[in-house]
Amino acid sequence: MIDVTEERVIDCDWHYQDSFKEVAEYMPEPWHTKYVESNWDDAGVKQNLSSFFPTSTGDRQNYGKVTREHSNYPDEPEDPERVTEGMEFLDIDVSLQISHLILAMGGVNADDERVQAFTKGYIEYMMEEVLDPDEGVYGLAPIPYGDVDASLEVLERVEDEEAWVGACFITAGASPPLGNRKYDPIYERCEQMDYPVVYHTGGSGLDEYVRAGYQEMIETHTLGFLESNMSQIVSVACQGIPEKFPDLDIVFMESGVTYIPGLVSRLDEEYLKRPEEAPLLDTRPGEYITDFYFGTQPLEISARNDLLELCFDMIGTDRLLYASDYPHWDFDSPSTINDLPMLDDDDRRAILAGNAEEVFGL
Amino acid sequence: MSDDSLVKVGPADEFADGDHRIVQIGRAEVGVIKAEGEFYAMRNQCPHDGGPVCEGKVQRKLVGEFTGPGERIDQHYSDDCIVSCPWHGWSFDLETGTHIGDDSIVLPMYDVVVEDGVVYVDDGK
Repeated sequence: MIDVTEERVIDCDWHYQDSFKEVAEYMPEPWHTKYVESNWDDAGVKQNLSSFFPTSTGDRQNYGKVTREHSNYPDEPEDPERVTEGMEFLDIDVSLQISHLILAMGGVNADDERVQAFTKGYIEYMMEEVLDPDEGVYGLAPIPYGDVDASLEVLERVEDEEAWVGACFITAGASPPLGNRKYDPIYERCEQMDYPVVYHTGGSGLDEYVRAGYQEMIETHTLGFLESNMSQIVSVACQGIPEKFPDLDIVFMESGVTYIPGLVSRLDEEYLKRPEEAPLLDTRPGEYITDFYFGTQPLEISARNDLLELCFDMIGTDRLLYASDYPHWDFDSPSTINDLPMLDDDDRRAILAGNAEEVFGL
Repeated sequence: MSDDSLVKVGPADEFADGDHRIVQIGRAEVGVIKAEGEFYAMRNQCPHDGGPVCEGKVQRKLVGEFTGPGERIDQHYSDDCIVSCPWHGWSFDLETGTHIGDDSIVLPMYDVVVEDGVVYVDDGK
């Protein structure tokens, strides 16, 4: 036996407790300034490892330029009072609350019960602490669709509660995609309950969703959110969910509106060449998709007016639902809708409230 | 129907199932197709891109039915026959000329007459 004290030893795993703040002093520009302006700050060794080496480009700080409160995720737990403060700030009478944390559910690959446990806990917490129909604060119940039985339990729990007005499916990461027959019992139950299904895009898997290796949030935020909705729209339409469940209201949230004409046109073009692959459809998928409802945020108000007008015509102003996405950094104020020149006042009222009143029974 | 409105195509017994012949009727090319013992005639110009639709494959139409939540779509071949344009696959019902995915798209159909073992297309005059 050798005497290790006499031997050469190489330790192949030693961690120096470096901090980004210190290393940033030595970073070349523009990275030095990007870091200093980032608000990632100086928590030393305790600093999150992802502060500069993000596991996602989904960081919202925009290199320190967005300084508004709530532009980044708060360090403290959310305060229910901030909901009503935010509603006053935006002059909103009714809000439908969507869980922020559930947005990451699509990234859970483990076959355990964390998503189900979270959704059930979230529902009890929201009813106890936050939702208040008298104040116009309602909820969309997150559905742990990976587990159909658990999803039905969630629907059972919220069915007779006034505070919940719909089911929320996170579109990112759903595998198989949400038109798959696996989810039929959930849709069947929602239709029976007259519960709209709200598909909400999400950031989980964002960086890998379209193409791994994006560098900046502008890239993933443009395409990732969009793609996670588009992929589900194609699945839901082609697999015939609207034919299987004709009374089910379908809502897609948070990808703006300008992608819809392109997606519909492309899908219809494919369909005319291969209709037998979508045998439940009676006509072009676009006819079904333009019967869906769409949340407006983030509305592409910088687009050419004639393009936005075409989008509104194609979707129908009776299918558009104002959404703020507040307090996220890229929220839309109601004025985003109100200022659009191509809408008349009836359209504005419908988008800002009337359509949602009908869909959600408010 | 007057005899002079009939355009001769050829002996019926020279058609096997799935066969087609192209005839000229006025300025239009018309395809005569035999499918499962029946004759059909339609414009040989796909409304999509002008492809020779009647020269395409003749098959029974694949359909699917929803049998219940969670069940696979029940896919089976129906009794209806279709012809698919060889260029891009646009497919039309042989009885009606209707696109199988969008009934607003219809290929003009012609009447077929078989007399004394000879196939004719009515030119519509």
